[in-house]
Amino acid sequence: MSDDGPSQNGDDPPTPDSDDRWSQYRQRLIRLGQTSVGERVLIALSALVLSIVVGTVIVTVAGLMATCRSPVLTFGSTTLCYDPFYVFNRLFLGALGDPFVGGWSPLNAQFAATLRETTILVFTGLSVALAFRAGIFNIGTQGQLIVGALAAALTVLWAGSLVSGALALVLLIPLGLLAGAVGGGFYGAIPGALKAYADANEVITTIMLNFVAVRVTLYLVRNHFADPTSQATQTRTLPVEGQFPSILFDPRTDFSLLALLIALVFVGGVYYLLEHTAFGYDLRTAGIQPAAAEYGGVDSARTILTSLTLSGALGGIGGAVFVMMTLGKFQTGIPSYGFDGITVSILAGNNPIGAVFAALLFGVLKSGSNVVAFATNVPPQLVGVLRGLIILFVAMPEFFRIIGRRLSTREPDSQATATAGGGADD
Amino acid sequence: MTNDSAMDRLHSASGRLFIAAAAFLTLVVLAGFGLLAPASTPGQIFWVLASKSTLSSTLRLSVPIVLAALGGIFAEKSGIINIGLEGLLIISAFAAIFGADVTGSLWLGFLVGIVASTLLAGVFAAVCIEFRADQIIAGLAVWLIALGLAPFASQVFYGGPNTRSVGTFDTITVPTLADIPFFGALFDASPAVYIMFAAVAASWYVLNRTTFGRWVRAAGENPKALDTAGVDVSRVRYAAVLLSGVLSGMGGGALAINIGQFTGNGPTMVNGKGFIAIVAYLFGNYNPVGALLSTTLFAGLDAVQLRLQTADVIAVPDSLVQTIPFVAVIVVLALVGKTRLPEAAGEHYESGEE
Repeated sequence: MSDDGPSQNGDDPPTPDSDDRWSQYRQRLIRLGQTSVGERVLIALSALVLSIVVGTVIVTVAGLMATCRSPVLTFGSTTLCYDPFYVFNRLFLGALGDPFVGGWSPLNAQFAATLRETTILVFTGLSVALAFRAGIFNIGTQGQLIVGALAAALTVLWAGSLVSGALALVLLIPLGLLAGAVGGGFYGAIPGALKAYADANEVITTIMLNFVAVRVTLYLVRNHFADPTSQATQTRTLPVEGQFPSILFDPRTDFSLLALLIALVFVGGVYYLLEHTAFGYDLRTAGIQPAAAEYGGVDSARTILTSLTLSGALGGIGGAVFVMMTLGKFQTGIPSYGFDGITVSILAGNNPIGAVFAALLFGVLKSGSNVVAFATNVPPQLVGVLRGLIILFVAMPEFFRIIGRRLSTREPDSQATATAGGGADD
Repeated sequence: MTNDSAMDRLHSASGRLFIAAAAFLTLVVLAGFGLLAPASTPGQIFWVLASKSTLSSTLRLSVPIVLAALGGIFAEKSGIINIGLEGLLIISAFAAIFGADVTGSLWLGFLVGIVASTLLAGVFAAVCIEFRADQIIAGLAVWLIALGLAPFASQVFYGGPNTRSVGTFDTITVPTLADIPFFGALFDASPAVYIMFAAVAASWYVLNRTTFGRWVRAAGENPKALDTAGVDVSRVRYAAVLLSGVLSGMGGGALAINIGQFTGNGPTMVNGKGFIAIVAYLFGNYNPVGALLSTTLFAGLDAVQLRLQTADVIAVPDSLVQTIPFVAVIVVLALVGKTRLPEAAGEHYESGEE
């Protein structure tokens, strides 16, 4: 903004060199756009690296303080119980199924687990991102996912008892996804309506609704839809036609390429909705400049309600996929995909396409944490710590800019990049 | 704009009045049943409500919420919205038990909890003030970090998400006064309950009667004026956020030591209390006494639901009864609506001198 923008140029008489100047401005604008995307990627990567550094410190400190039978290092009376390098080796390489070891195939079970987690995280990441772009903090994706998951499970169980054979094969999965979307959408509409018409802060209402969702689904499953043959609080198993088929991958991995493909279709859909439709434009304007949007004729209450409903629907579809791909039934104690979705979205700069990469990274972390738990005695909750650290570091771009500026004053060569980075933030 | 905010204020004032009236009316109706038909369900509920043990568990459940809410008031009044109170409660709850276990003293453990929470609050303050992070996102990060770190640490030291038991504070009983029906619970309570009352009074005094309190309010309402008057806005904000860490640390420590153990499964033993605290101070209009009163409503409902579960008065499954406090928070928030935030809350302040 500090640059003399094209608006000043508008008053200039059309001189022969004005075309040149225009293209110059355009180039500068394009470069600015690139820098800001580039900068965002850089910040995300720096945040990731910094979180791993802090994670290493935490693992080392914990390793020094813990007591164990076979420490990896011993200096006098102090022992180091965990090897932080081995932990991160297992976390990342383990999640991919050890690509640097001979005989690696992309179809290996651990990589399938990574992609399975990624698939759900794409949905929850999209859910959070869509709301964020409208200026709404949807912390309730977790609850929306839970409600969507139960709605999908019950719908597929009910419909599965009515149809069978080929009809069931084409009907049950779409029906389950739809039920998940409706369930999650409804559960997102509640805080949406409360914010739109009663001014109730959505951060709090969505968090409270997460607690409510856990308890209400627990009640429903335990008291009305329990599987009589099981000790766990769960519904009966879905019919085979209502579960995602595993393509290429071993069926025991509970991963379906079809589900991942559907997730990617949704990524394209949300991207198109945000960038190329009138509603998407309204939604983004409401997110950046609510007052301007209102002045420009955007019905802000309706935009809030619609975006939270859509956001909830995406979370609900994530729940449906979890039920129809991973579990094959609804079971209480659903993993925290919704909270991970917050990190995925923030890491991706709330960009739907970026969310795919962030979801893959988080898929690696989640599946890798199981490898870590198996290979070492480091608590798997480490990933929970990393999740928070990444958000914290992404939230402070200024930190990286200050560091970048310090580095660049030391090396005069890279000063140009620093100025470009500085220009992008205002 | 002024018209809007006047409407908002009217809306929230009438919302508060409505909730207070509804609560009062419900009490009167229940009391009627309790006196005329003590065997009926509403009558039984009244006698559950009016029992000394309900008041005593209400007070016990209020401690972490009220202390976190007081912390939230200081931070937000100074212009930093601290949505990470939940995280501060979680980290201090674990640290207090760990500290008590290592030192062998509950009070030293309590202190360790305060230190842990204050350190985390310091990180949050630096991230918001120095590095201009979005306060809401940074607050969520504080919550998620603690949600990961506390069970991680518990797993490292105790081999599971739950720690070992370290014992609880002895209750302080005032003779004779403790025998008063119902209100006797006020004189037969854990030291944490007395700390809570003292903290409410002290917070009210500091905010409204001291220079520091005036600075905190100015940092949130009109940082420029404070800056012009020669007071460093950033330092006031740092102090306020650190104070929120101290207060939340007391809350988390009291919560854990009250049970004698840290439990870290799922949302941990803190279980949303930090977020309820935010609603409590919003509903209490940033007034420490108001926060105490609104917490009594939420904690009271929680105490009643706990008692109803054991007393078997109504045939509603536990998992549904447990939703009552959370639903109450949502209803209160919807009725109060938009609260008037301090003018500069959520904004980074850049001093002209830099």
